[in-house]
Amino acid sequence: MIIPLLKVTNLSKSYDNIVGCKNISMSLYPGEVLGIVGESGSGKTTLINCLSGNLEPDRGKIIFNINNKETDFLNISESEKRKFIRTDLAFVHQNPRDGLRLNVSAGGNIGEKLMSVGYRHYGNIRSLATKWMNKVEIDKSRIDDLPITFSGGMLQRLQIAKNLITSPNVIFMDEPTGGLDVSVQARVLDLIRSLVNELNLTVIIVSHDLAVIRLLADKMIVMKNGTVIESGLSDQVLEDPQQEYTQLLVSSVLHV
Amino acid sequence: MIEVKKVNKSFTLFNQNNAKITVFKNLNFEVNPGEIVALKGPSGIGKSSILKMIYGSYIIDKGAIIINNKNIATLSAQEILKLRKTSIGYVSQFLKVIPRISALDVIMEPLLNSGDNKNNAYKKSIKLLKDLNIEKNLWHLSPLTFSGGEQQRINIARGFIKDLPYLLLDEPTASLDSRNRDIIINLIKAKSNRGVSIIGIFHDEYSRKKLNVREIDLNIETKH
Repeated sequence: MIIPLLKVTNLSKSYDNIVGCKNISMSLYPGEVLGIVGESGSGKTTLINCLSGNLEPDRGKIIFNINNKETDFLNISESEKRKFIRTDLAFVHQNPRDGLRLNVSAGGNIGEKLMSVGYRHYGNIRSLATKWMNKVEIDKSRIDDLPITFSGGMLQRLQIAKNLITSPNVIFMDEPTGGLDVSVQARVLDLIRSLVNELNLTVIIVSHDLAVIRLLADKMIVMKNGTVIESGLSDQVLEDPQQEYTQLLVSSVLHV
Repeated sequence: MIEVKKVNKSFTLFNQNNAKITVFKNLNFEVNPGEIVALKGPSGIGKSSILKMIYGSYIIDKGAIIINNKNIATLSAQEILKLRKTSIGYVSQFLKVIPRISALDVIMEPLLNSGDNKNNAYKKSIKLLKDLNIEKNLWHLSPLTFSGGEQQRINIARGFIKDLPYLLLDEPTASLDSRNRDIIINLIKAKSNRGVSIIGIFHDEYSRKKLNVREIDLNIETKH
């Protein structure tokens, strides 16, 4: 019997009278990629912000089980929570500018993340940073350049490198290809997918693009008005949707 | 062995006046190890739907499909993922891959995902590409730029690369010329000789004959 890496029970969050997400329950197992889809305002971002510690939910339980160590995410001290977020979780923002410091060099952005989990040796940090720039296909000669000189696709790849370099256990991605040119999207998608396979990453990815979910996610949930209306294997939900709203979503996709 | 027991399947199209389409009622059949079963019937009768239900892509409304003593109808998402990885190969009608990934990487992926080492996966994949008569200058290109027949062979390679006890084939020989069709037929036979249970949809009489299939006529099996 495998224990889920993340178990969420009856999670709710409202903003005054407005429902963010309501009674969300789900499980994620090691090495799985979970896609979250739904229209704007359906609660996708609220949900991953709660799961990643960016937002405090009103009710519910979030249990992480990493290397047989259980963490009751909503009932640990603030300092323990900060440490957990730093070492075990990562968050890739839609806009790479939100996840990077633009006035710090590319290598510095990556190095900072390593230092936050305890790396101190400059030579090691630099060589790891170089290795990761190579992994995300950014020329290592750009290591001392400021991110403001990077293209959108490069920035997103840099943000991914920064987030993955410390081997986090769960990676949250909010529309990681959303702001990118279509030609660049494929490259970033390809990169995410090969890293997921190579490093056996556990990922929760929010996207309104069903093709992205189809290509990346093993399982998916469909959200509407703050609740999960359908969940299952990605190919099953996309090919045999059981809910009216999901059918509408799937049938609204334009095919080239 | 694959056992399909009293399976019902229908689709409700909520956005089209809640139209309900019944595909099967009380569908029963089984496939033994080493046997090749061909699903027969006019287009739209549900041949692909059966493969998709076995693979877990379609919900089983009623009844059971038993593989490895497990009932697909009641498995959780992660149990199905695991069963696919360890037991079921599926060759879909069309290749679905991310742009930019090379044909070789597409074929190696299932092996690497199950923990095979890179060198081994590379060797196996190269051999299969050669067996499938795919020209060397294509190996490192994305299959999305290939012809229909070449794409189909890459798709087959991806489904055949692992040694799995069950194979589901959705028109594997559809867009192939006669020479390449014979190559695929021989690969399917080789799988069958090793005891793999195979269910396929074969549009042509030639393939069915060569493969010595047992036919299941859905016109007879599914009484609407």
